[in-house]
Amino acid sequence: MLLYILKRVLYFIPTFFVIALFTFLLSAIAPGDPVELKLSSGMQGSEGSGQVSDKLAGEEAYRQLNIKLGRDLPMFYFTVTSKAYPDTLYRVLRKNERENLERLIDQYCNWPQISAYYKSVKALELAVITAPVDPSDSSAFGKMKTVRESCNDLYRNYDDAVIQLDFDRIKSAVTGTIMVKDSTGAEKQYQALAAVSKYSDAVFTNYSAMRTQKQTSLKYIPAIHFYGLQNQFHRWLFGDAPWFAQNTDPNRTSKGFFRGDFGDSYLDSRPVSSILGDAMKWTLMINLIVFIIIYSIGIPSGVSLAVHKGTTYDRLMTATLFVLYSIPSFWIGTMLIIFFTSDYYGNWMNLFPPYGLGKIGPEYTAWAKISDRTYHLILPIFCSVYGSFAYISRQMRGGMLAVLRQDFIRTAFAKGLAPNNVYWKHAFRNSLIPIITLFSSFLPAMISGSVIIEYLFTIPGMGRVSYESVVARNFPVLFTILMFSALLTMAGTLLSDILYAATDPRISFTKKEG
Amino acid sequence: MSNKQNTNKTDQSYWGIVKRQFRKNKLAVWSLRVVYVIFFVGILADFFANDKPLYCKLEGKTYFPVFREYAASLGLTSMQPELLNVDWLHADYEAVVRAPIPYSPLTQDWDNAFANPTKKQDVKSWRFRHFLGSDQLGRDLLSGMIHGTRIAMLVGIVSMGIASIIGIFLGAIAGYFGDERLQVSRVRLWLNVLFLFFGWFYAFNARSYVMSDALSDSFGGFIFQFLISLVIFTGIMAIPNLIAIPFKKLPYFGKPITVPIDIIISRAIEVLNSVPILLLILSICAVVKKPSIMLIMVIIGFTSWTGIAKYIRAELLKVRNLEYIEAAQSLGFSEWRIMLRHAIPNSLTSVLITIAFGVATAILTESSLSFLGIGVQADVVTWGKLLNEARADVSGWWFAVFPGLAIFITVTVFNLLGEGLTDAMDPRLKQ
Repeated sequence: MLLYILKRVLYFIPTFFVIALFTFLLSAIAPGDPVELKLSSGMQGSEGSGQVSDKLAGEEAYRQLNIKLGRDLPMFYFTVTSKAYPDTLYRVLRKNERENLERLIDQYCNWPQISAYYKSVKALELAVITAPVDPSDSSAFGKMKTVRESCNDLYRNYDDAVIQLDFDRIKSAVTGTIMVKDSTGAEKQYQALAAVSKYSDAVFTNYSAMRTQKQTSLKYIPAIHFYGLQNQFHRWLFGDAPWFAQNTDPNRTSKGFFRGDFGDSYLDSRPVSSILGDAMKWTLMINLIVFIIIYSIGIPSGVSLAVHKGTTYDRLMTATLFVLYSIPSFWIGTMLIIFFTSDYYGNWMNLFPPYGLGKIGPEYTAWAKISDRTYHLILPIFCSVYGSFAYISRQMRGGMLAVLRQDFIRTAFAKGLAPNNVYWKHAFRNSLIPIITLFSSFLPAMISGSVIIEYLFTIPGMGRVSYESVVARNFPVLFTILMFSALLTMAGTLLSDILYAATDPRISFTKKEG
Repeated sequence: MSNKQNTNKTDQSYWGIVKRQFRKNKLAVWSLRVVYVIFFVGILADFFANDKPLYCKLEGKTYFPVFREYAASLGLTSMQPELLNVDWLHADYEAVVRAPIPYSPLTQDWDNAFANPTKKQDVKSWRFRHFLGSDQLGRDLLSGMIHGTRIAMLVGIVSMGIASIIGIFLGAIAGYFGDERLQVSRVRLWLNVLFLFFGWFYAFNARSYVMSDALSDSFGGFIFQFLISLVIFTGIMAIPNLIAIPFKKLPYFGKPITVPIDIIISRAIEVLNSVPILLLILSICAVVKKPSIMLIMVIIGFTSWTGIAKYIRAELLKVRNLEYIEAAQSLGFSEWRIMLRHAIPNSLTSVLITIAFGVATAILTESSLSFLGIGVQADVVTWGKLLNEARADVSGWWFAVFPGLAIFITVTVFNLLGEGLTDAMDPRLKQ
């Protein structure tokens, strides 16, 4: 038995790895740049002055945060790409720029030229910011702004037509002249951005070089690059802080999934573990109550239905259970909220609070706390209970009936044993087996079931958190929940297998393996 | 010959017995009829509820707008340009035959915003009544529900279609070959593994931008590009199998290796079962830039095949040791042919049960998702979305009752169908 458990736990490792891989893949293709999101939520309104120092400070802050989040690392242990892609592309930190470069590589397949073009755009942007332009000269400043915006546009576009449009704008802004009055009052034309023109010319030549020197054949040669353990996947799971020694590098502080570090929420930078800890409390409590109710009512009622098979009571109850099982919980929940939580349909119908858990102040006595919580939890618990209760009852009835048909039950009756003795001592134990297998499917069902219930009744549990993180695209939270529910499910399966063997002496895993 | 006469009276084939057993179950038979009605309403939703008339005469010209629209949605023609900006509800027709429900799901009848089905409504005649009420924008609930039927039907067909194909194929391979029967020559295995890499690289990696661009454009375009990739992939995978043929003759390369295909597929099923489906779909929807109802159907299909696979695997584990399989083997048929032509068709009937229950689950999953407001575009009306509108205002009880009732009936009907099939195929109940 112990050997079997050990073997199963070892089986977890590849399964878990595959799920982690899938989750990581999802996070890799998730849209949006978390670093930009964090920075923009952190410092609002400090943008737009266009000063060199600001620009450079912004770039530096971006770089620092990237390093802190480990996003300066390559994605995975290795990459499989075409030969056109350089193995150092991950060093371009800005996600949208990197994606745009990948598009360009896909089009032209000549990294040296693309890199030169990209660098020249960067140089142009910097040159424009540092250009000796009088800030009070509004038209010169406007031209400067045009060039900067066009540069920003170039970082995000790979379509030739769009790029040419940007080039036209840059060209007219750089070569365009402005009329100014000099001190004598005579009008004079001057080229405000003359100093920049050599940079813009470099951009144009580099771009045409990139376009003319295509190497499309490279796209069809596969290439594998290895990066070693310093990558984002490894960091996510195992962390990059040392396991035992004192941590010295302030930039490498991630402890990784296995050490309980799930990252920070994108929204408020709270650690995911603390968010989930708070949420888990509610979901666990509700589900524990639900679980106890389901099994303590469902099993006896299933047994009694099987015992009274064929009576009107049985037929009526079986039909009711079937209907209960088919009623979607979000329908019942909505109906209960509509009809029983407001005065609209009559005062006496306003029985329950519509949502939330109520506010419990410190002045409440223990009894008031409990009764208030119960009052708020009746509807959600009812909605989670009835479907599973019906399911368990039906399964129990079926399992019991199958056992009651067997010969040893007839023997037991023939021996003259009391019916209750036969049902509960002989039949019940044997009919428990299918119920135990259901147990394993309960854990995942609890988590996904709670998404709807907690959404309906605004309970701050795991389900609500996962719904909110989907809507807000708060990926660290969402993916941690995904991983956790997978772990829970695997644990549930293992547990049910062990219980299976414990209740049925005929099942022996060790023998089967040999 | 006398045998034939006998079968005319009572069909003794497997299907005949199942059919007879099924017909005894009144509830299941009625469920099947309701399923027919659902399909009928779903297919002809445009003719039942539409703000465009079935026939009309406008400025001396005769039109059949609904038929035209139906043909246009199938891609056969396009709408007449002069009809594009007609206010169908209030236009001055010379003659008109309207659809039974003269509202499209998105038609806004401002005179009857938030109309209560039990109260008086400000309508020209009973023909224009909102029988099941309307929402704050005056959109008719019954019309929305009729069009929602189509979505529910599509969810059932598309997701279970995908799930059945994957589930039956993988489950059958795992069950029929088990861990010891799939033997491949050494050279073929090596080459296949090698070319799997190339196939993936050229068909999917090199074309990833083509496919993602198509996906952001339209789902149909993506399917087309995906099929092209699949063709390329198949073409590339054909190469190693052709090369392997001459090499197989050499003793070293020809040495057979057993592929434990059952373990591989069972592991995959286990991995997929380890993640709660709803959470998985939620995560995928969060990652995709523009989730659509079609995408949700496909995801449901790709994640719910495990039940079918498990079922058919267990079935083929039994079948593969039967005499007729041995007979086919002794005739020298290839294992693949025996599996595809003899073993699978004989176990397909029992898969119907899983599919019936699967449709119920798929419809339930989709309506939960659209109830949560995830993955539905603004112009698509589904039952779950309608039910969610009830939450906006407690006084709108009709939005709480009717769409939910539709979901409930559909789910129940498919569950009953599954139960009926289970009973009909249960050999213990055969008389």
